[in-house]
Amino acid sequence: MAFNYDDYLRLEKMPTLWCWGCGDGIVLKAFVRAVDKLQIPKDDICVVSGIGCSGRFSSYVDFNTIHTTHGRTPAFATGVKLANPDKHVIVVTGDGDALAIGGNHTIHAARRNIDITFIVIQNFIYGLTNAQTSPTTPQGMWTVTQKAGNIDPTFDACKLAEASGASFVARESVTKPKKLEKVIIEALKHKGFAYIDALTNCHINLGRKNKMVSAMETLDWIDSITMPKSKWDKLPEEEKINLLPTGILKQDTKALEYTDMYYNMIIAAHQGKRGKVTQDDFEKKI
Amino acid sequence: MAGGDKTVINAEGKREVVMIGNHLAGLAAVDSGCKLFGGYPITPSSEVMEYLSDALPAVGGVCIQMEDEIGGVAVATGAAMSGVRAMTATSGPGISLKAENLGLAQMAEVPLVVVDVMRGGPSTGLPTRVAQGDINQAKNPSHGDYKSIALCAGTLAECYTETVRAFNLADRFMQPVFVLLDATLGLMHAKAVIPTAEEVKANIVPRKKFEGDPKDYKPYGVAQDEPAVLNPMFQGYRYHFTGLHHDAMGFPTEEIETCRKLIDRLFRKVDEHRDEIESNEEYMLEDADILLIGYGSASLSIKEAVNRLREEGIKAGMFRPITIWPSPEERMNELGKQFEKVMVVELNQGQYLEEVQRCMGRRDIEKLTKTNGRPFSPQDIIDKVKEVF
Amino acid sequence: MAVMTAPANTPVWVDKDRCKACDICVDACPAGVLSMQADPHSTLGANIEIVAIDACIGCNECELSCPDFAIFVAEKSEFKFAKLTDSAKARQEAIEKNGYRLPEDWKEA
Repeated sequence: MAFNYDDYLRLEKMPTLWCWGCGDGIVLKAFVRAVDKLQIPKDDICVVSGIGCSGRFSSYVDFNTIHTTHGRTPAFATGVKLANPDKHVIVVTGDGDALAIGGNHTIHAARRNIDITFIVIQNFIYGLTNAQTSPTTPQGMWTVTQKAGNIDPTFDACKLAEASGASFVARESVTKPKKLEKVIIEALKHKGFAYIDALTNCHINLGRKNKMVSAMETLDWIDSITMPKSKWDKLPEEEKINLLPTGILKQDTKALEYTDMYYNMIIAAHQGKRGKVTQDDFEKKI
Repeated sequence: MAGGDKTVINAEGKREVVMIGNHLAGLAAVDSGCKLFGGYPITPSSEVMEYLSDALPAVGGVCIQMEDEIGGVAVATGAAMSGVRAMTATSGPGISLKAENLGLAQMAEVPLVVVDVMRGGPSTGLPTRVAQGDINQAKNPSHGDYKSIALCAGTLAECYTETVRAFNLADRFMQPVFVLLDATLGLMHAKAVIPTAEEVKANIVPRKKFEGDPKDYKPYGVAQDEPAVLNPMFQGYRYHFTGLHHDAMGFPTEEIETCRKLIDRLFRKVDEHRDEIESNEEYMLEDADILLIGYGSASLSIKEAVNRLREEGIKAGMFRPITIWPSPEERMNELGKQFEKVMVVELNQGQYLEEVQRCMGRRDIEKLTKTNGRPFSPQDIIDKVKEVF
Repeated sequence: MAVMTAPANTPVWVDKDRCKACDICVDACPAGVLSMQADPHSTLGANIEIVAIDACIGCNECELSCPDFAIFVAEKSEFKFAKLTDSAKARQEAIEKNGYRLPEDWKEA
């Protein structure tokens, strides 16, 4: 079990700049283990990250890596994938990066169901810039921009991803590293937009000011607000709203993937290899 | 599709087509080996994307309409980072939106062609009318320090040839290159004489590649007057792209000397090779005593005005920068010493006038400006020349 | 950061240079093998210690949950790990109750 991560890391860049106990490192390790289990060649992988603590992820892994502008990871990743359809493109982003400034791009990358593994490192805050409210910061918590208490409602990013058209949606937390690794493996194997909500602890920025001063306290809080989907489904409605279901929440292996559609329908049609694309090519007519 | 149904090869071996400027820019992209186009509908540039939505997949390329302007430049930049030729097209408001990512392309040294079909501004302005108001923006669309390259098509044929040149310059200097069109040229439907696709293909100069051992590869570890050497992804050379200040492998750093040298190099890689970038047209300057400076579609009216002035015995001539940025400083400085009577004619409030003043070291340059979305008629120019000189 | 080296015949080992004293591995261990300990030379004033190496059951939870590549566990095929005992569980409880540090006066049952 002494898995050697070194081959997948840019060792000269370590140690990571993440705070002591930051779960980002746990996500990093789960991702590396997943890639290793699937034996995907390093040269076939491109990791795209955004701005934030999660943004530093790409500089630690020995793949083809891009550190983009804030929120634009889905668009950059789409460009890499469309130009290199047989390669593996993975996005690592954060709740602010993917759901606030990048919300529009996230929605449309999911809508296209383009074959990208989209890992949102969900720490419920803007960590790198020191504790501003993010779209998933619970109401009533203290943030530097809402010192009288956060009034901004949150939303369920997994539901957003699903409604937008993602064909694979999952949520796990860093408190269950083996489960996280499993969903990453499934996401990497999945052909289509694979959204992963990877819950992690930001005790330095969210936790410390909200009565969870240590890594363990913040991780315990994450445990307390999550529940495996099969159990969560059986709860009464009023209890459901305070728990996030974990596990694979959606897995549609039949949904058409964008790169496939573009190459096998559009390019094929323009090169005379098939007729024009019509409504008959799709199950959904609206 | 290419050239419509009226393409002809003439006696000089050139292609004669009847197409609008926007379509010519698209054709140039296809002939230059562009693999991916990312864009968003915006008047008066939408036809570039429309053309490529058919022309690119026909040759195995990808044309994608993104969810917004930023997505358009981001998808193209991502593709270019992965190693292919890529392009985006828009108008002024779109450049405003794309600015941050253009800065990333500058900082990370990513080749990209950015077509800007200028329209009346600022803001929503006059979407269907002509202007040349993005000149300053093309020089500094994004924050911080970097050196822009911007080409301005002044004829219908240049909508094609300047786009071809932009692809080669982008790969040579590893940065975004602007191709400025405007509402007049973008939608002008007339005959253009352009090189054949074969000629363009034979003259493609792709970006430099490192062929040695991946262990020795240092993408950003290049001479101070050279661009980064960025190998395509997925071929064994793994490195990092970032908009942060970075070291020779592309990793973020704040080291004092590394940061100083990076910005210095972003300027010097262009400044010390201006001879490869500069391109001007000089029309009837040899015996002229009035110098008119203009570019883009306005230059078509200026030329006509020069011809008519000459018929009246007034010896006007035109200097037309085709590469707008970096500006032809030396040449304009020389002309400023030769000509007492100089007038800049542009469809904005005097954006290039400032550059001409700076290059010539003079504050007495005349100007004819217009910002109401209407083109200059040759008579406008003739009247102004007679009025001030 | 040095390349990981696996010492022979060892169930679990730590790289103190990488440890950021976050307590997560100590919490993850079911068998009271690990403890934080005061260390004036470390950034957070503490560092990881293996206090009961023979009690390690090889569950690997510590390694999976360490964000900083600071702790490793041998392969199940390479080492004969212990079974989880009640005294190991008791020690773990005491460690957790004492702020993830083995109480100084701890006596094995």
